[in-house]
Amino acid sequence: MSDNDLISSSLEDYLEAIAEIIERNGHAHTKDIADRLHVKMPSVTNALQALSVRGLINYQSHSPVVLTSLGAEKAAVIRHRHAVLKRFFSEILKLDSETADSAACRIEHLIGETVLSRFVVLAEAIGERDDCRELRRYLEETMPKIATSDDSSEWISLDKLPKGKSAVVMRVGENLRGVKKFADLGLVTGTLLEFEGRAPLGDLMRVKVMGSSLSLRASDARYILVKVMS
Amino acid sequence: MDAAMKTTFRIALAGNPNCGKTTIFNQLTGTRQHVGNYPGVTVERKTGGFRIHDLAVEVIDLPGVYSLSSTSPEERVAFRELVDGGIDLILNVIDSGNAQRNLYLTTQLAELDLPMVLVFNMIDDAKERGLEIDFEKFSAFFGAPVVQTVGSAGNGMDDLREMIYRIANDPAPRRPVKPKYGPKTDQAIRALTEAVEPLLRPENRRIPARYFAIKLLENDPEICNRAEFASLLQPAEEWRGKITTRNGINSETLMADYRYGVIAGACREAIQISHDRRRQLSDVIDRVVTNRFLGLPIFLVMMYLMFLFTFVLGEYPMMWLETLFEGLADLVNALWPTGQAEFFRRLVIEGIIGGVGGVLIFLPNILLLFMAIAFLEGTGYMARAAFVMDGFMHLFGLHGKSFIPMLLGFGCSVPAVMATRTIESERDRLTTILVIPFMSCGARLPIYAMIIPAFFALRYQAAVMFIMYFIGVVVALGCALLLKSTLFKGDGEVFVMELPPYRMPTFQSILIQMWERAVMYLQKAGTLILTASVILFVINTFPVRTSFTQDYPAQIAAIEHDQTLSEEERSREIAPLRGAMRAELLEYSLAGRIGKVLAIPLQAVGFDWRVSSALIGATAAKELFVAQLGVLFSIEDAEASASTLQQQLRRSYTPLQAFCIMLFCLLTIPCIATIAVVRRETGSWALTGLQIVGFTVVAYTLTFVVFQVGRLLGIGVEFLQ
Repeated sequence: MSDNDLISSSLEDYLEAIAEIIERNGHAHTKDIADRLHVKMPSVTNALQALSVRGLINYQSHSPVVLTSLGAEKAAVIRHRHAVLKRFFSEILKLDSETADSAACRIEHLIGETVLSRFVVLAEAIGERDDCRELRRYLEETMPKIATSDDSSEWISLDKLPKGKSAVVMRVGENLRGVKKFADLGLVTGTLLEFEGRAPLGDLMRVKVMGSSLSLRASDARYILVKVMS
Repeated sequence: MDAAMKTTFRIALAGNPNCGKTTIFNQLTGTRQHVGNYPGVTVERKTGGFRIHDLAVEVIDLPGVYSLSSTSPEERVAFRELVDGGIDLILNVIDSGNAQRNLYLTTQLAELDLPMVLVFNMIDDAKERGLEIDFEKFSAFFGAPVVQTVGSAGNGMDDLREMIYRIANDPAPRRPVKPKYGPKTDQAIRALTEAVEPLLRPENRRIPARYFAIKLLENDPEICNRAEFASLLQPAEEWRGKITTRNGINSETLMADYRYGVIAGACREAIQISHDRRRQLSDVIDRVVTNRFLGLPIFLVMMYLMFLFTFVLGEYPMMWLETLFEGLADLVNALWPTGQAEFFRRLVIEGIIGGVGGVLIFLPNILLLFMAIAFLEGTGYMARAAFVMDGFMHLFGLHGKSFIPMLLGFGCSVPAVMATRTIESERDRLTTILVIPFMSCGARLPIYAMIIPAFFALRYQAAVMFIMYFIGVVVALGCALLLKSTLFKGDGEVFVMELPPYRMPTFQSILIQMWERAVMYLQKAGTLILTASVILFVINTFPVRTSFTQDYPAQIAAIEHDQTLSEEERSREIAPLRGAMRAELLEYSLAGRIGKVLAIPLQAVGFDWRVSSALIGATAAKELFVAQLGVLFSIEDAEASASTLQQQLRRSYTPLQAFCIMLFCLLTIPCIATIAVVRRETGSWALTGLQIVGFTVVAYTLTFVVFQVGRLLGIGVEFLQ
């Protein structure tokens, strides 16, 4: 595995980190690199030696790390790819920036250079090309609607919600009579509610929705699926 | 249309129930209000007028609604008024403490493209609850000016008036910002708007085509049923399908989801919550009042207090009114030229003053009852009462809101029927109206009070009385169940009810509400009762008998001229003669003859012609049964000499018959005042007729069974010791 062109994904991370630190501080010390990647100093020294052997950096102990022209070029490619992937995950797939960042890192590490370079081209095209505008608009609209927690096994029907518990409405069943009326009073997907108690004798229940209490029948509440808040 | 050209500037007050809309209306108009009904529905239509400088303003208080879809009579009425009413400005009243839900209506009102003012009401309440609201942000967001008010204290009303004046004089007032519903949906709206444009009826031109497009996309029943849009149902359905599959949401709640999304965004930006104290107080009260175990007892105590308030406090003014009418009758009697137009004298005194007065004396009860109801409604307790009672009422196919009117039926059916207006479901409301008169009302009490002591020993009296009330309740609930499973059958409508936070209602609003009900009672019931009283008087009087079995006038004259008798002795001897004469007159009259005809079928339930004839009187007012029976038993003043009448009755009837008389009086045709109010509240002669026939059938059947079974088993033949 002494292929000069291929460096291990962990070395890529080092190269990327060095490039970023240099960009920000003008120079990179071993200590800064260790802090940034949350690793111990000896590991950094090890990695720097490996990078040095591959001619990507100039490294002498006790002086700042400098990128060779080859190293700078390599770092730029890595950083560009990461940026494209991150933007793809956050702007096209509508993931929050933390999730997008970690997904970008993981993908870089998991798939090989060959697949990655092609994937980056695709991501770039979707994100930037004019003839993809309709596609972008479609995704823009669709992605946020995809329930983040697809684990519907956690959902329970509203009539099963323990007293005093808060929950978020996940689905309002189609077979509920007068869905519209419930919707008009605020019982729509995403509404936060709290089960306050039951009426004497009957099946009426009291649920706090927005500023006030609503009462509805437990037989109707069966069709409203909620996720209990911890 | 140019606002300056018109004589009045028309404003509509729109808002959710419990947002304080009516308080604002009262503040704006003072007492210059007009209350009526929307044609065909029992939704009150309130209008009022006021002036700001040189501007005459007409304001319409729309019914409180959560949405402008047309799923309830209130929503349909509000919608029609806004679309066809030539409204120049909408005042959208918003409960500041509950902006998120209240603004849902705002997003729909904005679509109407009429100038709009956002009236953030009850800001004191919101502040107390720790809400800091950036009104400027809301104003910018909805494209409508904001006025802050505290309706109950009248704060901000001057600002509101100035704002109205400014908008009325603005040649191009600001139009609200139309909400965006996301790219795909907006695309659908645009496409449908283009299709709607050429189909619009000229009278709807004031409302933008876009509004109708949205309603079509929402699958609103009222708009989708309009003939002109028939060709658009298919495309609207297709668009819904597309949007639903893309966004994975229910097509019915499509727009609601978007609107709440829009509002949630606006509220997040404009409202800061620092603490939430007031709400907690409301929650604490609710934890007790709607508790599974405490809820019912607390409710019953509240109802008991309400009755106490109504009937104990009402007794005094009732007595005053009675004295007043007696005085009035005496006055007319004294001023009337002796012997002239005798018929008209009796018509005025017995027919008009007696009949109308007999109804008017219930006015204090009605005022107090409605005052109590207005108070309980104003505080928000009524919604809790319905919540608490729902389980029990549901057993009979009704829901919680039917309970209070039925309970009021123990007092008087007239206000009870009027109180059914709070029931939203039309089927439930009609069912409740139809069964209410079975509840044993206060006017039946004199009948029991006369008969029970005459036929039942003291130790049975309370039990018999209780049985009468109990039978009334059982029959009412039984008939409700029957009606709900036959005539008013159908899937139960969805029941969602808001339990608004507790509030202290203003004294002014309670008084106004009470007064409105009282006026309605006087106007409508009053005219009918007047007519009925005259008719009853006539059939009780004509034809006049001229020859008697004895020559009463001569005998009376003889006694009057008998100088050997003292004044006291004279009147003691004249009284039975007068009584006997009146009895013969009544027997000869139309009422007596009808009684004799009625007695033929009524024999099977144990009645003779006298009871049958007295039942005619009971139709005018239940307590007249006693008076009429008194006349027929030749007793001058039946109520004053109850014991004499009781002796007479005991000689004539068995306890079984007596029980049957009470049973029949309880269940038979309601009184004229009730019939009048039922006719008005149901808006249907057919249903009123059904009630009359139904009650007769129920009364006859039950009494028949009781009488025949009792007779076969030999029950109640003798006085129960």
